[in-house]
Amino acid sequence: MTPEQFRQLAETWGGDVERWPAPTREAARRIAATAEGAAVLHQQARLDRLLAVAPEIETARADRSSFLVLQRLADMPQPHRPAWYRLLRWPALVPAASLACSALVGVWLAGAMPYVHSPSDPLSVMSGVFDVYAMGFGSVQ
Amino acid sequence: MAEVSARRQHAFRVLMRRHMPRALRVAQRIVRDPVEADDIGQEAFMRVWTHAASFDPQVAKFTTWLYRIVLNLTFDRTRRRTFQPLEDAGDVPDTGPHAVERLIADEELRLLNRAMAGLSDRQRGAIALFHMEGLSGEEAANAMNLSAKAFESLLGRARTALKANVQKIQQTGSHV
Repeated sequence: MTPEQFRQLAETWGGDVERWPAPTREAARRIAATAEGAAVLHQQARLDRLLAVAPEIETARADRSSFLVLQRLADMPQPHRPAWYRLLRWPALVPAASLACSALVGVWLAGAMPYVHSPSDPLSVMSGVFDVYAMGFGSVQ
Repeated sequence: MAEVSARRQHAFRVLMRRHMPRALRVAQRIVRDPVEADDIGQEAFMRVWTHAASFDPQVAKFTTWLYRIVLNLTFDRTRRRTFQPLEDAGDVPDTGPHAVERLIADEELRLLNRAMAGLSDRQRGAIALFHMEGLSGEEAANAMNLSAKAFESLLGRARTALKANVQKIQQTGSHV
């Protein structure tokens, strides 16, 4: 690397050799160790410091911008969801819905019907047996 | 970012708290107008939210992606703009022990801001990324969607033009 190349690189990348492209660093370090090289870097480093000064962004300002973004998102139209009853238009759902309805009715009937416990004393059993036979042979049924 | 892609607003809030100042800083360095910089910052995060699914951490870091969005928005706006904003170099009162040094530094910064106004948006963008944000040449080139060589050339031209503008202002005392 010639002193002129070194100067051009310093004018492009600034006064910190470690921020220059990797392939140039080794040769640049050798020139930077000389008085002329150090003077070139010193001159560029002053400009670097000024260029590194960032506009001050207060936290409140950044927070306000973030809040406005959230507000804009809230105002955005939500993706359209079909009404629940429109799902019934899907042919595949009809058998499943029918089965579910039948099961629900069954469960409801089982809970709503009075539970009749048949008496187990001998007289009642005999009476029941006669009733069954009476229905089978003598009744209009 | 994965949580932002999954539409989790809490994660998005955390992301904005962390990176909004960065977006505003870069935008303001280029457009030199705080109100417009705020607009750009907000629009950039709207895009982050709507395009979160397209972000691939294998391809780029989130900050590089964000810089790219901010720069694209900024360049789009400045291309459309037909006026130049007023300089944003206000007086900063200082009563501290290093007031004189601070005054000199402030004066240098004012001069620099005026000289920066004479640069193109892309040149200001290159300076903002490399010097202000501290990105490497490769990262900055990636954020600007340029080859390393093209970025080197852009940065070199920016610094040369800046120095020329500073000299011009010092000689004439006028705006570039």
